[in-house]
Amino acid sequence: MAILSVQNLHVQFKTPFGAVYALRGIDFELAKGEILGLVGETGCGKSVTGRSILRLLDDNAQVTAGRIAFENSDLLRLPESAMREIRGKRIAMIFQDPATALNPLFTIGQQLADVLRAHAPGAAAARRRQSLDLLASVGLPDPAQTAKVYPHQLSGGQQQRAMIALSLAAKPDVIIADEPTTALDVTIQAQILDLLRRLQRERAISVILITHDLGVVAETCQQVVVLYAGRVVEAGAVAAVFPAPQHPYTQGLLAALPRPGSRGSDLKVIPGNVPSGLERIDGCAFAPRCEHVMNRCRARQPAFTSFSAAHHAACFLHEASVCG
Amino acid sequence: MAEPLLSVRDLSMTYVRRSSLFGRRARNVAALKEVSLDIEAGETLGLVGESGCGKSTLARCLLRLLRPSSGSVRFAGEDLLSLGDDAMRRMRQAMQIVLQNPFSSLNPRLNGFDLIAEPLRAHRALSRKEMRDKVVSLLAEVGLTSDFLGRHPHQLSGGQAQRIALARALALNPALVILDEPTSALDVSVQAQIINLLIRLQNQRGLTYLFITHDLSVVQHISDRIAVMYLGRIVEEAGSEQIFAEPQHPYTQALLSSTPAPDPGGRRQRIILPGTVPSAANPPAGCAFHPRCSHVMDICRTQYPAPRRTAPEHFVSCHLYDSAQDMESNSMHNLLDKDAQQ
Repeated sequence: MAILSVQNLHVQFKTPFGAVYALRGIDFELAKGEILGLVGETGCGKSVTGRSILRLLDDNAQVTAGRIAFENSDLLRLPESAMREIRGKRIAMIFQDPATALNPLFTIGQQLADVLRAHAPGAAAARRRQSLDLLASVGLPDPAQTAKVYPHQLSGGQQQRAMIALSLAAKPDVIIADEPTTALDVTIQAQILDLLRRLQRERAISVILITHDLGVVAETCQQVVVLYAGRVVEAGAVAAVFPAPQHPYTQGLLAALPRPGSRGSDLKVIPGNVPSGLERIDGCAFAPRCEHVMNRCRARQPAFTSFSAAHHAACFLHEASVCG
Repeated sequence: MAEPLLSVRDLSMTYVRRSSLFGRRARNVAALKEVSLDIEAGETLGLVGESGCGKSTLARCLLRLLRPSSGSVRFAGEDLLSLGDDAMRRMRQAMQIVLQNPFSSLNPRLNGFDLIAEPLRAHRALSRKEMRDKVVSLLAEVGLTSDFLGRHPHQLSGGQAQRIALARALALNPALVILDEPTSALDVSVQAQIINLLIRLQNQRGLTYLFITHDLSVVQHISDRIAVMYLGRIVEEAGSEQIFAEPQHPYTQALLSSTPAPDPGGRRQRIILPGTVPSAANPPAGCAFHPRCSHVMDICRTQYPAPRRTAPEHFVSCHLYDSAQDMESNSMHNLLDKDAQQ
């Protein structure tokens, strides 16, 4: 069952150079208790999607169409006061760089106490016990000591754990994690991803994991949504998409990764660059870089073709084969 | 055997850090400890490790941008640490570095032409026309047209800027290029373009690379040999295929298993290391990896394991391999040196 569903989301930014079309119709559903990977390259709209859900976009951003269904409400149309009840409490966010997301002037314990006080008034002693439990549950070795230190006294991995503890404080149902391990070393990344999987399992939390790393998706997520230039090009179960990607962009991304045994050979390259978002795109946004491009790709958007209940892609190559 | 292009022996670098703003007591941070390595002309040595392990300090010591505390660096037959400043400046023409983020390493006020011409102006006397021809041919070599002559860094994409940085590094025909995380800031599709370019340039020009990265999948793709660093020391070194097929140091094994593979079916047994890399200001006694190692023994806590040769070209510093040959040696490259003498 879907706990959150994003429908036809369009977002644009007003800039001195004109409107930038950041999202051009995003659709996906997050099922309860699942980790969904939102993957794509710089500028594809993954972070904008995450921020749109919590209505944390900058002032020059405008949601021009769409719906974000969470329980019985549309998050895009809730009054700000109602949104404040959801932000952090029901849907929490973890950012890429914990060093800038944490407040440098307060200890970890004070920051946790703040969140707990805001969401569940109670005795200070109870809050303190709760803080220590949270710090222990994210695997920080000495919770009592960690509560007393300032963010700069922690390593990057410990800061990210503290950040996750903060996001768990109000017992959210959904966590949006925006590149939570990109700033971390691989051995620490493995620890944090393991922690996310454990939280999902033990607390039945649903997670949207925003990342550029297909390896992270393959090892952590059940579902994957591949974005390109503000649209979903392919989506489905990780177990279905990775072995048999159907969109040329997904195929290109996977083929561009160096793999064991590929030493010295030419890596497959996707020529050209990601579009800037300034220009209107009528056809498939990937057409200028696609090796299979056909005339109709430039004229209009391809519709989604389903390959199984759990896998679909938007590409004319398949529209022909399945429908015709 | 011919002398390697670059040969580093027992290189150590200790930073002196004051304990506080006004503190008088200095604390030593050993960033590099007795690092030895050889790079043969035309090959690529991959140097892998996590942040703070000393990879970039090593790169800076090799170029003498930092003065190492002890040890030796021989490059093209010269002892770099005893060269005078002028001689060193001339020597640096033959050893160039490309850094991770081109937008911070390229001067934002220079356009493509000036960025690439700058090293040529410093070291070569070229006429105007010769200069332009040279710059245009360098641009072509890195896959850019002369349209880029007038563009400033902010008008470039990440991949284009990294190509300009490469053209600039190649301007003086270096023998050795140190690549310090050259693709880490790039998207996957662009990363593949730059890696292909690096391999092509190496084949065309016979370049020698020291490729520094934390990304194991990239390093195995481009390197002939790989050295793994942990807290200032090289803990394992072997041929690229060899180290991936049979990693021996527990740290290398954990690194390999932590790297996420885009392959959900082939999920292997993941080794998740506890804890974090200790501070180089206060390293653990014995083997610096012992607090995180699942194979730790008593001896690991007190004694640093001397490098052992476990296969013809495979060296590892770990007490698990104490029974391997060459017990008396204290540096993996003393072993190589001994071979060369025989």
